[in-house]
Amino acid sequence: MSHVTCIELISFLDAYVAEELDAETRTTFDLHLIVCPSCRAYLASYEETIDLVRGVAEKEEELAHDAPPELIEAVKHVKR
Amino acid sequence: MLETRYAYSMQPVAAARPDERGLVERLRAGDERAFEELVDHHAAPLLAVTRRILRDEEEARDAVQEAFVAAFRSIGDFQIESRLSTWMHRIAVNCALMKLRVRERRREKDVDELLPHFQADGHQQQSSVGWKESVEDVLQREQSRALVRECIDRLPESYRVVLVLRDIEQLPPDVVAEKLQITRDNLKVKLHRARQALRTLLDPHMRGAT
Repeated sequence: MSHVTCIELISFLDAYVAEELDAETRTTFDLHLIVCPSCRAYLASYEETIDLVRGVAEKEEELAHDAPPELIEAVKHVKR
Repeated sequence: MLETRYAYSMQPVAAARPDERGLVERLRAGDERAFEELVDHHAAPLLAVTRRILRDEEEARDAVQEAFVAAFRSIGDFQIESRLSTWMHRIAVNCALMKLRVRERRREKDVDELLPHFQADGHQQQSSVGWKESVEDVLQREQSRALVRECIDRLPESYRVVLVLRDIEQLPPDVVAEKLQITRDNLKVKLHRARQALRTLLDPHMRGAT
């Protein structure tokens, strides 16, 4: 693969982010990213999207109160 | 990127802690108090998991109840080299997915309109621009977190669930593909499309920051 276009890069962005591309393809992608600010921005926001999804879930768990007492009681009751 | 570490994720399984071994032995012996301890320790995080998958409070609570009943019934199968939290997480995910399967199948829109569009020469039709604020700053504000959550919930269900199971619960691809009864290739495509669609939904807010 001598060069890639935006459509090719974005189509395989998940593999790029997961570092699943072979070395030659990755280098080609890296070269495209050097010359294409739009794809650089897309890549950054794609990674930020994943981070936001995880971050929001983490924050929700941090802020979560204990399970509702009625649920705890219901579960214990089912067992009895 | 943020370091994500969930006690309830399917990350490499660590051995049961010494205090867990004792609890497991008591559970196997039918100790009522041990079951109550299990519920007290695990109900809240499991409810968080089932809420994320089902987005329905009543169903999420039912799934947690069912998970505990299933766990108690199959405690004999629990392998002591595993972590109780990991094992319970797997059971809760299964119970939540069972509920999803029996929900009335709704026709869902695809996400095509939320994917990037390209010109004939392969360039993006609309140039992407960087987002204004860091992820860490966005996560500090409740309003912004609510917006991200709202955007996730706007994804068609089959895409939302893939995103939740892979990017939040961090279940391995093989496990998710099996649970959702789709091929691994299909899962890969779906996850990429879900992330792209969510990126598009977030983009107008994140460009100017929320």
